Amino acid sequence: MTVEKQRHILVRGDEPGRPDVRAELGHHVAISGIEFAIGYALASVIGIALGLAVASSATVKRACQPWISGLYATPTIALAPLFILWFGIGIWSKVLVVIFLVLFPVTINTEAGLRTTSPRLIEMLRSFGATPRQIFLKVSLPSATPFILAGLKLGIGRGLIAVVVAELFGSRAGLGRLISQSADAFNMPELFAGVIVLAVAGIVMTAGFSWIERTLVPWTRD
Amino acid sequence: MTAKLTVARLDKRFDALEALRAIDISVAPGEFISVVGPSGCGKTTFLRIVAGLEHASAGQVLIDGHPVTGPGPNRGFVFQNDNLLPWRTVLGNAMIGPEVAGRAGAAEKRRTLDLLRLVGLEGFEDYHPRQLSGGMRQRVNLARALAIDPDILLMDEPFSALDAQTREIMQTELLRIWEQGRKTVLFVTHQIDEAVFLSDRVLVFARRPGRLQESVDVTLPRPRALAMKRTPEFVRYVDHIWRLIEDDVRASVIEERA
Repeated sequence: MTVEKQRHILVRGDEPGRPDVRAELGHHVAISGIEFAIGYALASVIGIALGLAVASSATVKRACQPWISGLYATPTIALAPLFILWFGIGIWSKVLVVIFLVLFPVTINTEAGLRTTSPRLIEMLRSFGATPRQIFLKVSLPSATPFILAGLKLGIGRGLIAVVVAELFGSRAGLGRLISQSADAFNMPELFAGVIVLAVAGIVMTAGFSWIERTLVPWTRD
Repeated sequence: MTAKLTVARLDKRFDALEALRAIDISVAPGEFISVVGPSGCGKTTFLRIVAGLEHASAGQVLIDGHPVTGPGPNRGFVFQNDNLLPWRTVLGNAMIGPEVAGRAGAAEKRRTLDLLRLVGLEGFEDYHPRQLSGGMRQRVNLARALAIDPDILLMDEPFSALDAQTREIMQTELLRIWEQGRKTVLFVTHQIDEAVFLSDRVLVFARRPGRLQESVDVTLPRPRALAMKRTPEFVRYVDHIWRLIEDDVRASVIEERA
C-alpha cells in the first residue's frame, strides 16, 4: 500500500477505488448478521430441547451431562479452524461455531430452571389430580422460563464473539473479516466502524431481551 | 347418617419411624373437625394421606365408602404455604383446579368469581400474588380449593404463617364461608384455641407413635364470634385439651432443642 493511499484512508475514511464504503459495510453486516441469526436460532431450539430432554430423563442426563459440562468449559472457539477446513470458508463454518458457543448456556440454564421448580408448587398441582404433562406445562415450564431467557441472553454475547472470531480464522466477508482487514491496513475508521457496529448490536439485542423479560416474566421483577 | 369420611386402622411408617399407628376416625357429612397435637404427632402426614398425596402403610381411608388411592376432585387441599403460582393472577390461580379437570369454561369462571367474592377478594381478580398480603394470599388458597367444589376441605395449618390479629379475622372468615356451604372440613393446627373455636370436634393426637389420644366434642353454639374465646366454657375446652398434650409438647420442645 502506498503512502498516498494510506493518507487517503486516514483522511477520507475510505480507500481510493472503493466508491461505496457504506454498501460494503452493509454487506459485511448482512453476512455476519445471517451467520449469527441462523446459528443463534438453531442453538436456541436445540439448546432448549436438549435442556428439556436432560431434565426429564435420567438416562439422557447420564449420557449428555459430561459432554455438556465438558464442551461448555472448553474454549470451543478453537475448533473454528477445524470447522473451516470441514465446511469451507462460507457462512456454515461460522454458523457452527455460533451454535457451539450459544448452545450450552441455553441447555444448562433450561435444565437448571426445570430442576429448581418448587416441589411445593408441583405438589399443589398434584393435589388437584394433575397429570405429569399438566404439571410440566402449568408449573415446570413457566417457572423455568426466567432461567431459559437468562441463558438466551448470555448466548447473545457469546454468539457475537463466535461470529467475529470465526471470521478472523478465515472468511470472504463479515465484520470479523472487515476488522482484521482494516487492522492489517491500519484503516482505523473502518476498524472502528466494525467494532462499533458489533457493540451497538450487542447493546440493542441485550436491551431487547430485557424488554422481553419484563413482558414475559414480570413476576421476577423486584 | 352414613359417614362422609372413614379412616380404618391406618398405619404409616417412614422406614424405622412409626408416624401413625392404628388411626380410627369417622366423620359425618358437614362436620368441622380439627386435628391438634405436638410437633411430630403425624397430624400433617394424616391429612396428606387423606388427600391422597401420601400412601398409608396399612389400613384404609374411605370417602363415601370408596377407598382413596390418590388425589381426587372430591377433596380440596388448602396448603400451609399458599403455593400460589407467581405468574398467574388471583383468578388464574383460583381456576387451576377446574383447569386441571379440563372444564375451565365460562360457567366455571363465573363460579370462581363468585367464590373470590365470597372469600373477600372482589376487585383483586387481576392482581398477582406478589401484590397481595399474607392474609389475602391465604384467601386465594382457600378459594382455589373451593373452586373444584369438593365434598371435603383439607386444611393444613393454613393460618400459621399469619400474624395473630389476621389469624383471628381469618378464623371468623372461614366460619362465615363454611356456614354458606357446610362442607366437611378436616383442619390441622397446633393452636388449641383455633381448633376449639372452629370445630364441632377436636381430635387430639399424641406422638411417638402418632396416634389418636382423644376425640373432644365441642358443643359451643353456632354461629360463633371471637368474643366467645373469653367465655368460661371455651376456656375449659382449651384447658382440657392442653392438659392432654402438655407432657408431649414439653417432650417435643426438649427434643427439638437437643
